[in-house]
Amino acid sequence: MKRINCNPRPGWKAFAESVGFNFHTFDGEPYWDETAYYQFSLAQIEQDLEDPTEQLHQMALDLVDDIVTSEQKLTQLAIPEPFWDAVLASWRAKEPHLYGRMDFSYNGKGPAKLLELNYDTPTSLFETGFFQWVWLEDMLMRGTLPQGADQFNSLQDKLQQAFSELNLPQPFYFASVTQSIEDKGTVDYLMDIALQAGVNCRYIQLEQLGDIDGQLVDLDGFPIQGLFKLYPWEFMLQEDFASTILTSQTQFIEPLWKCLLSNKGILPLLWQKYQGHPNLLPAFFDDGSSLQPGWLRKPLLSREGANIELLTTEGKRLTQDGPYNDNGYIRQQLAPLPKFDNNYTLIGSWVVGDSAAGIGIREDNSLITKDSSRFVPHIILD
Amino acid sequence: MNKQFKRSKTARLIMMVPAAGLVLAGCGEKPVEVQVFNTPDECAAYYNPPAECKAAFAEAKALHPQVAPRYANKQECETDFGIGQCESAPVLAANNTETAPQQSQQSSGFFMPMMMGFMAGQMLNRGGMASAPQQQTASAARSPVPNQPLYKSRDDRSTFRTATNTAVASQPGTTSIRPSAVQPKAGSLARRGGFGAQAARRSSSSFGG
Repeated sequence: MKRINCNPRPGWKAFAESVGFNFHTFDGEPYWDETAYYQFSLAQIEQDLEDPTEQLHQMALDLVDDIVTSEQKLTQLAIPEPFWDAVLASWRAKEPHLYGRMDFSYNGKGPAKLLELNYDTPTSLFETGFFQWVWLEDMLMRGTLPQGADQFNSLQDKLQQAFSELNLPQPFYFASVTQSIEDKGTVDYLMDIALQAGVNCRYIQLEQLGDIDGQLVDLDGFPIQGLFKLYPWEFMLQEDFASTILTSQTQFIEPLWKCLLSNKGILPLLWQKYQGHPNLLPAFFDDGSSLQPGWLRKPLLSREGANIELLTTEGKRLTQDGPYNDNGYIRQQLAPLPKFDNNYTLIGSWVVGDSAAGIGIREDNSLITKDSSRFVPHIILD
Repeated sequence: MNKQFKRSKTARLIMMVPAAGLVLAGCGEKPVEVQVFNTPDECAAYYNPPAECKAAFAEAKALHPQVAPRYANKQECETDFGIGQCESAPVLAANNTETAPQQSQQSSGFFMPMMMGFMAGQMLNRGGMASAPQQQTASAARSPVPNQPLYKSRDDRSTFRTATNTAVASQPGTTSIRPSAVQPKAGSLARRGGFGAQAARRSSSSFGG
């Protein structure tokens, strides 16, 4: 695994905008960054990332069985009690899931360490599945990269296959928060793929979802029987329409049971069950005591690096403010992100259905990866 | 080369790329002919088969409580539709259609205008031509326009309007309309805005992660 500087393709920004990638620059700073790429060997990809991803995914699924029947664990994960039965029913009914992303600290040697699961509303999907793919094809066509260079990225193929096999109710609706162009971009991409798989897709702004007598309805008042929502379950379970979730005849993607796996509390539970697994870091529910050097604290429910506090082994404290301070916390042993040049590098490894489907790399100038962290493409070349 | 690639075989976009985008419904939509009447008898008087008139009327009547605009009180309804032209609206079970007929007897507390006529989308013999059963094939292309109730506003008693207030004709008989303009929509008042509060409270560029 190495980081290699390269020249951006001339005109890539115009191309990005022409394919709906409108968030390639974030507050004036690059988000998509093709001034460099990462190179992996095939063995690194297959043995250190692909195989562990599928194994960890199965371990996490196995854990769901333990959680849904344990009041203690549901309480530890701060799942509101009125929804316990519904979570259990959603799992028992084997409601299908579409995708997830696990984040790793990995430097090319030794086991990748699982930092967390983003199993409810993972993003950076378009960047990974489409834009990174096109970048490689362009670089091959221009002869900038040698023929034979590949990429661990079957994300779009696997998503299309999943959409064609999920047998979704039609029309199938997709919802995201109105104010977020990034989330709309993710949803547009998923709708595009679903459309190619033959799904009859409709978009609705999340805030426009309606309720008639406990049934979710669209803008015309017709029942919504299938809904992809790019909005966290933990929010939905505490908002005005929370009770609608219990009564509405709607198949959700991701299904309700995914609220267990997108929760950072899954990390101590994984450690309890599989203590010593090479891809796991020691993790515990937080007792509020002060952090030891080499540990970090993060909320059960948070995203994009918010509300994280970490103490390096040298005793240097790093904190990241954020809006997610209203639930419990966990602590996890620090697996500092590897540093390439002056960049801290995080690997997001995708799962579609139950298969590993590719990676996307994020870089930041700090040890904490955030929503503004740069997305950098990668190749496989032996 | 026998190598198995680790990347997608293709990555194409069909919706996000405007140049290759889909033709949107509505552009170049062809108008279709429909008929509008005050009553089934009037329909039959226009040389339509009485049984089909009755059937179209019955469909429209059944749709009426589902699509009629709803008002919180009678006065507001009568302001739009005229004194004595409103009735109480039944409860609708949106997620349980099987029990809907019984429940529809029950008042929801809302008011709706009375049905003043109906639109027949899939007529029948062509209005005005009493010729025999027609060479029209059995299931001749189902009309894109559903049979539906029509209403008349307080200040314009001659114009037939759909439940969504689209004026469709000023007299009984055949008229020409764009199908997308007369698609029935549920008239029940949906509560909205029940999701999204957390997003508004926690400003962030994304609610994924």
